[in-house]
Amino acid sequence: MHEMSLVQGLLSQLHSLAREHNKTKVISVSMDIGPLSGVVIDSFQFAFDILSDEDPLTHGASLVIESSPATYHCCGCGAKIEEEEKPEACPVCLENLLSPEGGDDIILRQVQME
Amino acid sequence: MCDSCGCDITPDHSHDPKIVEVHQSLLAANTAMAKKNRAHIEKMGAVAINMISSPGSGKTTLLEKTIEAIGDSLRIGVIEGDIETERDAERIRAKGVPVIQLTTGGACHLDAAQIHKGLHLLEKEPDGDKLDLLVIENVGNLVCPATFDLGEHHRVVLVSVPEGPDKPAKYPKAFTSSQVFIISKTDLLPYFDFPVEEARAEALQLNPKLLVMDLSATSGQGFEQWLDYLKEICRK
Ligand SMILES: Nc1nc2c(ncn2[C@@H]2O[C@H](COP(=O)(O)OP(=O)(O)OP(=O)(O)O)[C@@H](O)[C@H]2O)c(=O)[nH]1
Ligand SMILES: [Mg+2]
Ligand SMILES: [Zn+2]
Ligand SMILES: [Zn+2]
Repeated sequence: MHEMSLVQGLLSQLHSLAREHNKTKVISVSMDIGPLSGVVIDSFQFAFDILSDEDPLTHGASLVIESSPATYHCCGCGAKIEEEEKPEACPVCLENLLSPEGGDDIILRQVQME
Repeated sequence: MCDSCGCDITPDHSHDPKIVEVHQSLLAANTAMAKKNRAHIEKMGAVAINMISSPGSGKTTLLEKTIEAIGDSLRIGVIEGDIETERDAERIRAKGVPVIQLTTGGACHLDAAQIHKGLHLLEKEPDGDKLDLLVIENVGNLVCPATFDLGEHHRVVLVSVPEGPDKPAKYPKAFTSSQVFIISKTDLLPYFDFPVEEARAEALQLNPKLLVMDLSATSGQGFEQWLDYLKEICRK
């Protein structure tokens, strides 16, 4: 769904980066997509495959996606827990009210171009 | 830290001329525009809320009843987002408040650039520039709208009783990014299995800061708390 429009935004950013650095071909793109970003990584990859293929700048480019974990803040004892999946309860005090922090980024990290 | 330039971006980044370090959010352009919208809305003297739910949870009906019930105590303006049609805007216009319909032409969410356009259009409507509360009704969709900041001050997510209580667990982002969770259509509780307290507890588990309300636009149950909340955020 909105992964398509995010990838469209990515492609237009790649065009400005290529212009800025005098490059004509993108070889690889590396991204960090957090587990709480609301982005389905498979759909993002799928949208990238389809849209990058149609564009001479990005035709054949590879996409590498990493997912850094979110931090959960325990509302009971204040412990900070780093997990990709939300834990059921705080491992320290067993409280189950855990408030997420971060993990919602969709970051373009680096681009390899020639 | 990188040995060649002392930067702390990534420990292993190279100085290969082919590699460009970007480290920028894909949402950066949207977020920058949302920030401008927020400043624009504040200059109008208004507070904005962004309403998110699945199709048909009762966003427009809640708005219609809110406009009726609030009378002269708040000046409300509305931006309606739908994939197609002017229908929701027509329903709101019939209540006598300034309204703009944005149609996304297929996109499943509103973004900050569309709201920017909507704000300028709204200001040209009669009394569209004299608001206390701007309500943005997002496209009916519990997934995608949650990712896009529109420049609102508060985000309100709705789940109606017939949809069932498992929505916070299935669509967490809408609940972790909102300030208010409304359980709507509570007049239907006798006919559906919707344990309100369990749903409330589950949503609070995801986001302990959520303000949870339950109400019915049909019976008026729970409306007082909702109206008080709106007056409070507008400081009226
Ligand atoms: N029983 C009951 N029905 C309601 C209530 N609120 C809304 N409805 C009905 O639910 C249906 C959908 O309501 P809308 O207000 O159009 O929903 P919406 O969220 O604006 O829908 P979209 O804009 O299409 O996403 C209509 O048939 C309403 O009459 C309520 O409190 N109780
Ligand atoms: Mg509607
Ligand atoms: Zn979508
Ligand atoms: Zn704890």
